[in-house]
Amino acid sequence: MHGVLPSPSSSALRFWAKGFKDAASLPAPLLAMGLIGIGPLALAVGHPLGAAIASTLFVWAGPAQVLFYGGLAAGLSPLGIATAVTLSSVRFLPMTMSLLPLVRRPGQSLLQQLLMSHFVTVTVWSESLRRLPHMPQEERVPYYFGFAMACCSISTLATGVGYLLSGQAPLPIAAGLLFLTPMFFTVSISAGARGLSDGVAIASGFLLQPIALALIGPELDLLLVGLVGGTAAFVLDRSRTRAA
Amino acid sequence: MIPVALEPYLLLAFAAVIPTAIWRISAVLLARRIRETSPVFDWVRFVATALLAGVVVKLIFSPSGALGAVPLYGRLGGVAAALATFFFAGRRELLAIAVGEAVLIGSYFLAN
Repeated sequence: MHGVLPSPSSSALRFWAKGFKDAASLPAPLLAMGLIGIGPLALAVGHPLGAAIASTLFVWAGPAQVLFYGGLAAGLSPLGIATAVTLSSVRFLPMTMSLLPLVRRPGQSLLQQLLMSHFVTVTVWSESLRRLPHMPQEERVPYYFGFAMACCSISTLATGVGYLLSGQAPLPIAAGLLFLTPMFFTVSISAGARGLSDGVAIASGFLLQPIALALIGPELDLLLVGLVGGTAAFVLDRSRTRAA
Repeated sequence: MIPVALEPYLLLAFAAVIPTAIWRISAVLLARRIRETSPVFDWVRFVATALLAGVVVKLIFSPSGALGAVPLYGRLGGVAAALATFFFAGRRELLAIAVGEAVLIGSYFLAN
């Protein structure tokens, strides 16, 4: 595993621990609350505790997990579910790509980059984009792994707890937990917004989604929203930087 | 024949793990070919932001499980309240989320 995990030098370990601690202080427990709700969804389709836990650890994408269990509950075919999850998870491509320049180092192994990419999720992505640029290069990779691993491990635990406590939560609380995911997405993109162009990207995402849904249906709508809204914001950003 | 006990895990791998991993892996392979200062990275960040806003709209309009028991105006109002709180009350994330949740849960009790 040499070169994959942060090298065990004391400074790398210290940055890893700092990342872990920063995440554990708030973002990770909040994210974990949003993933408690995956447990009951897994139980509802008769899957064992281990599979519920594995879903958070290995899928690591709340909406995809909800779609997976929702599809099973609705009796969709595995291929149909796989297609729906693939199309709805396209956000990971631009999210992961935009994160990588911050954590790339010369001579970094492909394996380490793939491991870093596994942990990308909205919370990890938005917090990294905000925190990493202010850090020295050598601190970023261990800090990122510490931060991401805190989020992933606490959330995995939460999904297990949710499974075991399934059915115990009153309906409004269960609804509130499921509502955390869209809230995080909203607050994360707002917190990451740095100017008018970001505002345009957010607003066009909100406004274009119903139009795209009506135009091309629920499979490719997100792709259209991302490409059109994102490109519009990018063009605006370019023209403004050139004018400035 | 696949052992029945393994079925949930194989389903998970085929219909959820691979369909999400494929994008993360593609991103790594694509990004490796692009130099760090390329405007491509700015563009993909805007695309990701617009996409995430689109995902929020989908989650609000086609809710799963218990969230469906809350009226649409509660879900919409919750997100709107969180956004407004974030931008007009000092960009505090936790406060924004708490206000959004309060609106959502309040609307449940109003409707029931």
